[in-house]
Amino acid sequence: MSDTTSRSGVSPGAPRPEHTDAPVPAGTASPPSEPVRRRARAAPGIRTHLPSSPWLFLAPGLLIVGGFSLYPFLSTVVNSFTDARTLTEGQFVGGTNYQELVHDAMFWTGLRNSLLYVLGVVPPLVILPLLLAILVQRHLPGIAFFRAAFYTPVVASVVVVGLIWVWLLDDRGLINALLEAVGVGTVGFLSDPWLLLLSAMAVTVWKGLGYYMIIYLAALANVPRELHEACAVDGAGAVRRFLTVTVPAVRSTMVLVAALSSVSAFKVFSEVYLMAGPTGGPGGEDTTLVMLVQQVGTGLSGRVGYASALSVVVFVITLGLMLLVLRANRKKEDEA
Amino acid sequence: MRMSRRAATATAALVTSLLTLTACGAADGSGGADSASGKVEGEVTFQTWNLRAHFKDYFEGIIADFEEKHPDAKIKWVDQPAEGYPEKLSSDAAGGTLPDVVNASPDLVYPLAKAGMALDLEKAAGKYREEYLDEAWQSNQMPGMPGVYAFPWYLNTGPMFYNKHLFRKAGLDPEKPPTTYDQLFKDAVSMARKSDRKIAMLASTPSIEDFGRYGVRLMNARGTEFTFNEPKGVELLRHYKELYAAGALDSQALTAKAESSGRKFQQQSVAMNPGSALDLETFKKEAPSLYKNIGITDTVNNTGRANMYVQGLMVNAQSNVKPAAVAFAHFVTNKKNQMAFAKQVTIFPSTKGSLDDPYFTEEDGTDATRVRVASAKSLKNAVNYTPVLLSDQMKTVLRNAVAKALQGEQSPKAALDGAVAECNRLLKTG
Repeated sequence: MSDTTSRSGVSPGAPRPEHTDAPVPAGTASPPSEPVRRRARAAPGIRTHLPSSPWLFLAPGLLIVGGFSLYPFLSTVVNSFTDARTLTEGQFVGGTNYQELVHDAMFWTGLRNSLLYVLGVVPPLVILPLLLAILVQRHLPGIAFFRAAFYTPVVASVVVVGLIWVWLLDDRGLINALLEAVGVGTVGFLSDPWLLLLSAMAVTVWKGLGYYMIIYLAALANVPRELHEACAVDGAGAVRRFLTVTVPAVRSTMVLVAALSSVSAFKVFSEVYLMAGPTGGPGGEDTTLVMLVQQVGTGLSGRVGYASALSVVVFVITLGLMLLVLRANRKKEDEA
Repeated sequence: MRMSRRAATATAALVTSLLTLTACGAADGSGGADSASGKVEGEVTFQTWNLRAHFKDYFEGIIADFEEKHPDAKIKWVDQPAEGYPEKLSSDAAGGTLPDVVNASPDLVYPLAKAGMALDLEKAAGKYREEYLDEAWQSNQMPGMPGVYAFPWYLNTGPMFYNKHLFRKAGLDPEKPPTTYDQLFKDAVSMARKSDRKIAMLASTPSIEDFGRYGVRLMNARGTEFTFNEPKGVELLRHYKELYAAGALDSQALTAKAESSGRKFQQQSVAMNPGSALDLETFKKEAPSLYKNIGITDTVNNTGRANMYVQGLMVNAQSNVKPAAVAFAHFVTNKKNQMAFAKQVTIFPSTKGSLDDPYFTEEDGTDATRVRVASAKSLKNAVNYTPVLLSDQMKTVLRNAVAKALQGEQSPKAALDGAVAECNRLLKTG
């Protein structure tokens, strides 16, 4: 970093330029007036041109990101090329873990379930919270209660939420008791592999609604009311106004929600683990990729090398998903 | 490629969060010297597995006695919750913070011994060998490795609880619970039929122990290959498939955990469930109507030998206070202290002669005593069916194969063949 005082073109001791009221040609910056320049000078005794100053400010953050994000990430990549176990250093094995992964049926099951989770969870998490936000946006008496109520599942622990839903959806739980009462019979929400996955998706959506609703509320606050009024004057109904005013105004927020929810959906663990059990449902049919990482990489005999290879694949796919969403958004922007 | 500022910010935030995917380090598994001779001094860290809540006074008493006997030694006692104990051990072992004396079962000791983190007690404490039951001492021998890697501590064998009321409802004699597998299967199907599939006899699918109890050979003699896909194993799985189809296994058995099976039994939707004497107290408090109808019987087996759960005390091979650690581990597991522990809770000492004590041979008419005496009797020739080489990942492989067979996705033979092949592959990579 260079010294700002020397760049101003005024060296110490040089005659000061006279003050003039002559108009300044457009496009040229006027030199700072004397009082301003004097204020900008450093207080006596403080050095303003320490080259490492910015790095010192950045250091705490860099240390945390480097130590807790970058280093583990890089060591995961390195480990993925070894046969490391929990208690033993690994030997370099090249791409063996990645080759094994391609032939591992559980990997493909996990990939299928994680992708299905994205497809099942993202659309409702983009649309429903927006509708909910529009609903609670109005200033009605007692609306704060509803906003808080919708947000409650977000702050609840995922373990508590998972257990409550397990009790509700159990073959002998409340929901099945009601279905029995109306003559539908028992539905195997937690014993049928597909219904289990759908149940876990439903819990993820239910838990995420409030979180994304808050994001949409912030976005909706920035939509000019005049647009709605002008639309209404033109005779547009509520649905028309929603499609022509609200959606375009919050489109970038929708993209953000889609990106955030697709990443978290692809990395889902807790809901499936709690509802489908540690094996990932009957015969492991509901295992997701992150569950598989946990299954093979933890415990005293954990295959850290193989689990790292799985993690790297999860990272690459997640990054790809996110870029896909953002790219789709840019295309829309360009078209607009 | 232009990107809006918001999108760029979102990308940066997301990439940062993505970077926090799993990463684990591996520890260097070089074993320490097997020398435990020397002065008993220094601070010994002693870790138990979910025992502080109920037995604080007992352990504090033992620690005080030991410190009085060895004034230069100090014991620092830590206790870990039941959940996630293997994960806690692995993070301690990988991070070099493994306590000096660790409470562990043989299957947890094996990977630590293999990594050189468990002290060979044949060398370091062979003089104490004669104090313990032979089977118990040998339970901590590790396949392919010379030596013994933990002091045997308390033993247990779970009785089978059954619900007399549900037996009566199904037209079965509540005083004659099944004693053979054939009878168990027959009674289970009959109960499911009578109750229109509302009451299941069992809550979970067969585990490796069940295969062992059924008389299936789990591994070859040298411990180099799994063999549970032999015809007897296939036969057991075929029976379970019939039970599942008939509704004699709980509909959620394929994803059952010990906790959920216990809950089903308490809700009285399942008629039989394995347990321990501790459960009796739980039933009394949480399910009084079940407690009134509780029946206790031995777990059925075709081998004439019950399953034995073994707990041990492993000494960290890299401990800086090995003499004190070995002395303390032996002190906790000696005859006097094990007997005192057995009087606190229904567990069984692994020391020679302890099971002949009248406490384990004479009944006084109460349920608790009946369980104690029956269990002690069955422990005399019990075996630990779970192979120490069966890792958690292998257990999952077996469970998934069983589920596939029960759902009809694969034949029992194909499912077990696949599971054995996968377990053997994992065994070789280990």
